[in-house]
Amino acid sequence: MLRKECVAMLLAGGQGTRLGVLTQNVAKPAMPFGGKYRIIDFTLSNTINSGIDTIGVLTQYQPFELNQYIGNGQPWDLDRLNGGAFILPPYQKAKSGEWYKGTANAIYQNIDFVDKYQPEYVLILSGDHIYKMDYSKMLDFHKLMEADCTIAVIDVPIEEASRFGIMNTNADGRIYEFEEKPRIPKSTKASMGIYIFTWEKLKKYLIMDEEDHNSQNDFGKNIIPGMLRAGERMYAYEFSGYWKDVGTISSLWEANMDLLDPQSDINLANKEWKIYARNAAEPPHYIGNQAVIDNAIISEGGNIDGHIEKSVIFTGVTVDWGAIVRNSIVMPDTHIESGAIIDHAIIGWGARIGKNVVVGEPQKKPVNGEWQIAVVGPGVELEAPMKIKAGEMVGGKK
Amino acid sequence: MNTKMMSVLFASGNESKLNELTIHRTTASLPFGGRYRLVDFALSNLVNSNITRIGIITRNNYSSLMDHIRMGRDWDLNRKNSGIAVFPPFVLNTSREVYKGKIEAIYTILDYIKKSPEDYVVVSNCNIAANIDFVKVLATHLEKKADVTVLCHTARINSSRRVIIKKDESGFIKDLHFEETPSDQDYLISLNIYIIKKDLLVEYVENAYSRGLVDFEKDILFKEVENGRLYAYELQGYAAIVDDVKTYYAESMKLLERGVREQLFDGENKIYTKVKDSVPTVYGSSCKVINSLIADGCVINGTVENSILFRNVRIKEGAVVRNSIIMEDGVVMEKSTLAYAITDKHVIIRENRQISGFLTYPIVIVKNKVV
Repeated sequence: MLRKECVAMLLAGGQGTRLGVLTQNVAKPAMPFGGKYRIIDFTLSNTINSGIDTIGVLTQYQPFELNQYIGNGQPWDLDRLNGGAFILPPYQKAKSGEWYKGTANAIYQNIDFVDKYQPEYVLILSGDHIYKMDYSKMLDFHKLMEADCTIAVIDVPIEEASRFGIMNTNADGRIYEFEEKPRIPKSTKASMGIYIFTWEKLKKYLIMDEEDHNSQNDFGKNIIPGMLRAGERMYAYEFSGYWKDVGTISSLWEANMDLLDPQSDINLANKEWKIYARNAAEPPHYIGNQAVIDNAIISEGGNIDGHIEKSVIFTGVTVDWGAIVRNSIVMPDTHIESGAIIDHAIIGWGARIGKNVVVGEPQKKPVNGEWQIAVVGPGVELEAPMKIKAGEMVGGKK
Repeated sequence: MNTKMMSVLFASGNESKLNELTIHRTTASLPFGGRYRLVDFALSNLVNSNITRIGIITRNNYSSLMDHIRMGRDWDLNRKNSGIAVFPPFVLNTSREVYKGKIEAIYTILDYIKKSPEDYVVVSNCNIAANIDFVKVLATHLEKKADVTVLCHTARINSSRRVIIKKDESGFIKDLHFEETPSDQDYLISLNIYIIKKDLLVEYVENAYSRGLVDFEKDILFKEVENGRLYAYELQGYAAIVDDVKTYYAESMKLLERGVREQLFDGENKIYTKVKDSVPTVYGSSCKVINSLIADGCVINGTVENSILFRNVRIKEGAVVRNSIIMEDGVVMEKSTLAYAITDKHVIIRENRQISGFLTYPIVIVKNKVV
């Protein structure tokens, strides 16, 4: 096997429970985003755009959709003779076989996979953030600092810092303390969940961690604090630019809305750093004679004859005449019938919103930082006089 | 079904009547329908009918076609044991020039055809936009024990040199002839797509070539009519023959009808094209868009009516585009007005320009021009 300098490992097994009905049947990284993408497209595209062409995708929760979506990795140019994209589910071994117990255990169980490429470095990623980042610059920094571990951090507002894992560093970026969700934060450098490890070092800590039966086998809780205690060279790499965790309904909605904001840093149209996706074979979308479009993102295959305002419309959506969609996310292959009114809502893929159904309510600002977004689950069909209130979620198994 | 088909496509033809639109490209690579090129329809129909051995014969200016098709992956044609073969022009020893008609063209790739294991051949031009299931056509071909099945549809003659078919009640062809003048009356018109047994095609072509004949329709099919084994398979639904600027414009505009789009795109058999990873289209607050077909990657801040925008088109504030076709990467700057125009790829219309053609004579603006 050809040697690789750096292998990426993408943790895509999380359930994303806070997304409720949306992640009931698909893993969070497979969640549709931005009109034609899935959340995982950002990480996969960043990886290949950074010149890293070998990536293991660790799946566990509801993997079918994700496995099918990634396939042989071709849409991301990851169908390679040497390297490429690999789906790595938990598997049966000679003596044992078990689910991934934690993020660190997931990598531990795939030590053999990484070792095949004899990499110097391993990049650990998670599949639930929206951002564009050149990991090769982070790797350069890791080498420059002769670090054992480099953690990407982003400057967050001090009042929000207690929601994150915070890195306290020296002037040169060396981390002397890591605090998970500190009540009184000492710095505003929040971990982005992106790590580069020198592989031999990480392997040692993964094996030690596995032997510790009290460990939760988690990077944030066990590996990073353990390395820090042992005095390993750990550095914070400061990233600036758009980065958003889309782990909640409110943040998923916000991140989609950011795409409509010309002032936002997330510029998908930048040809130097394209985000790739598996493309649906759909014709261009059609805007009808009655349509009114005011600030929207619309993907292919749609038939739009209604009133669309400040919304993201995914592939293959039909909006009939007289329907109103405002401040909302309408996921693929949905049908919004005439007279329906949708505001501050997320409509799951394949749903049908019947005539005159009302979903969501207008809102001026978030309540305690959270928008009250109404959510209609995938495949749900609603008929009048149904009314879904702000913040309400319908569909899915009870 | 075990009977296997292969296909031979002609990338060129009718370039002279498509004028400026085919200066830089083959008819096959002519952009159509917002995100496609005409060859996408032929390739997708073939692949959807399990035909994966496809030879495309080119004549000139075929670099755009090679760039579009690459290894055929976007149509799932990057196969180990078949796939797509693009044949650059082959100069025959006898004439010292590029082939003159389809007979010579097929003759240049006769070895490829003979070596292929399939028993039947779909022979087709690349200037047709339709959704065709060749499995059904072949079943009929076999059932009728036809020598050649000619695909056709009922339409008005909207351009010159259409092949007109007269058939009997059983569907066999009684007469074939060219019609030169447009007519408002409905005729049964050949789409110049044929299914034929491979051995018979080889025989036809070898015989005709040795007699110095060049025209597949006139020199082979017209003569075969008297044997009574040519079957007319009539396609239902939308089918467009694109062979001059007027039909290009008219057939494009038909895509604004929902029924036409449903027939072409909404069935099980999808139309595939080269993936370009464009972002979804962004509509600004000042835009006004109605009755238009809009591809990915556009940014629209002006007015667009009854038009087709290809990928990555920019319509700036105050610009008005009506009854027009704007191909990929076109830009219409502030306060310009465009009507009944076809702008080729990378055309920029500067500020405050007024450009208008007419319904029956749309103005064509050549690739890469700045107006």
